[in-house]
Amino acid sequence: MFELEAVTRHYAVRQGPFRTRAVLRAVDGVDLAVHAGETLSLVGESGCGKSTLARLVLRLERPTSGRVRYRGQDLWEMDRDAVRRFRREVQMVFQDPYASLNPRMRVAQIVGEGLAIHGLARGAERDARVRELLEQVGLPPEAAGAYPHEFSGGQRQRVGIARALAVEPRVVVADEPVSALDVSVQAQILNLLQGLREDRGLTYLFISHDLRVVEHISDRVAVMYLGRLVELAPAADLFREPLHPYTRALLDAVPVPDPDRRREPRVLEGDVPSPIAPPPGCPFHPRCPDRFEPCDHRVPELRPTGTARAVACHRCG
Amino acid sequence: MSPDGRHRSLRRRRWLERFLDGWAIYRRNPLGWIGLGLLALFALMAAASFVPPLIDPMYHPMAGVDPEITSSMGPSLRHWLGTDFMGRDIFSQLLAGARVAFLVGISAAFMSVAVGTAVGITSGYLGGLADTLLMRLADMVMVMPALLVVLILAALFGQLNIWTVVLIIALFRWPGVARVIRAQTLTLKHRPFIEAVRVAGASHRRILLRHILPNVLPLSFLYMTFRVTSAIMIEAGLAFLGFGDSTTVSWGMMLQWVWKTGHMFKAPYWLLPPGLCISLITLAFYLLGQAMEEVLDPRLRKEEGGVG
Repeated sequence: MFELEAVTRHYAVRQGPFRTRAVLRAVDGVDLAVHAGETLSLVGESGCGKSTLARLVLRLERPTSGRVRYRGQDLWEMDRDAVRRFRREVQMVFQDPYASLNPRMRVAQIVGEGLAIHGLARGAERDARVRELLEQVGLPPEAAGAYPHEFSGGQRQRVGIARALAVEPRVVVADEPVSALDVSVQAQILNLLQGLREDRGLTYLFISHDLRVVEHISDRVAVMYLGRLVELAPAADLFREPLHPYTRALLDAVPVPDPDRRREPRVLEGDVPSPIAPPPGCPFHPRCPDRFEPCDHRVPELRPTGTARAVACHRCG
Repeated sequence: MSPDGRHRSLRRRRWLERFLDGWAIYRRNPLGWIGLGLLALFALMAAASFVPPLIDPMYHPMAGVDPEITSSMGPSLRHWLGTDFMGRDIFSQLLAGARVAFLVGISAAFMSVAVGTAVGITSGYLGGLADTLLMRLADMVMVMPALLVVLILAALFGQLNIWTVVLIIALFRWPGVARVIRAQTLTLKHRPFIEAVRVAGASHRRILLRHILPNVLPLSFLYMTFRVTSAIMIEAGLAFLGFGDSTTVSWGMMLQWVWKTGHMFKAPYWLLPPGLCISLITLAFYLLGQAMEEVLDPRLRKEEGGVG
């Protein structure tokens, strides 16, 4: 569905007492393909560029260099009609269910807006479609007349999902769709997303910082660190045998709800380096427990290892 | 009920609800009560201004001259606030002045807020070069001494009609609104719900009119009350200096007559009423704005409402 080719997104920032120009490398040379029908999860700490990547994929932002293609077409070489089609086929679920719904609109308007924009249904037909959608995401049809502030976080996220589904997209980009929700509600929303995917044959690009969330719904997982992909693997393989030291550290940080199986957590030292001044060589080397000679001056490329896996580490492959 | 009808009644209920919620906050503010009370008084005056000429043509604020009076007289039963130098009734002039104050204040404020909102939204939404150009233009207009420019215009084009005055005030008072609305637009532009409609494929027009505008309108509305204050002040200043519309009786015009005929310190019954009215109506709109500010957004900053 999507192909990213050496995609880079830099931001010009001014910093320090003299407001000197600097470049923030939010996404720094990412190659990635999202296949039709799969759920690809993108994980990483906050600030690693995963949301920027989502915005690039959604054509909300233009890559500084490299290409993003949707079904073979470069997003920024599309004509008006192609963009329109793209806007119908690719939808998004947002992280913050409070900020992503217009406070001055009723749910019927919010959910029905895509239908209105693309001229898919009007009048009573649109109302009927909205009610149907609300039902599919587990909300009562009366919700149509209410305002967002009348709902809980989980219900709002359901509204957001209904909005995304209204135009019958093929791809849904979900940017941390559950991280603002209570744990008990998280599972409900994840199950809903999972069910919808099966019913509608959707492709998901699922962004999260929480590996627990990702484990059960993904086909493949891509791990990001400082704007780069460090590991890409089928979910089962990644959780069974993480190859990159960063992935291992992330997995170790996941709390295990079993007092007997307490793993010794290897907590990473230090903070994520600034994407304005990334360390030379492997971006992870200052915090890496396994670093050796080439790590601080040679950037490891994302190399395939075995079947369907790839890792960017001098220790592997 | 049809689904459409249900929507409409829901919307009505919602508006009422919002109004009552706002009112509940407003009514706790004693200053707001004072402002509202004063405004009601002035509105009553403006409405009553049509009555005196009907009672007797000599009560016409502009053309009605009491045939028995040839110089300024103090208050009497016949002329409650006395008469001016040529025997015109001051009380009916005062009432007519209220009407003009509302007319000038509200229409000039409405225009400047409309222009300011349009410019602010465009500037904030488009960003880049358009933003820079519009905001520099706003800065230029903002630093212009409005009163001075109006005086020059008046000197160039002779007597100004009251609507010209309104238009000029509007032209000078939009930049402040534009800046605030631009700032608000900037914060809105990157909210996820705007991004969501972009993802849904909405056009710029749709985003601006259906999503950004409704979210900045309360702010525009608030600014209108402050702009009314400043418009009334500017009009009064112009009229006092003799550049007002000489066919209209405004409070500023009344003050000018007092001054020009040398009654400044001889006829307090003539000098004080228009002066007090200008101060009080200004205060009233200011208090209204203050109280509404609390209702609409407690984080909003205050704005000065002076001349120029």
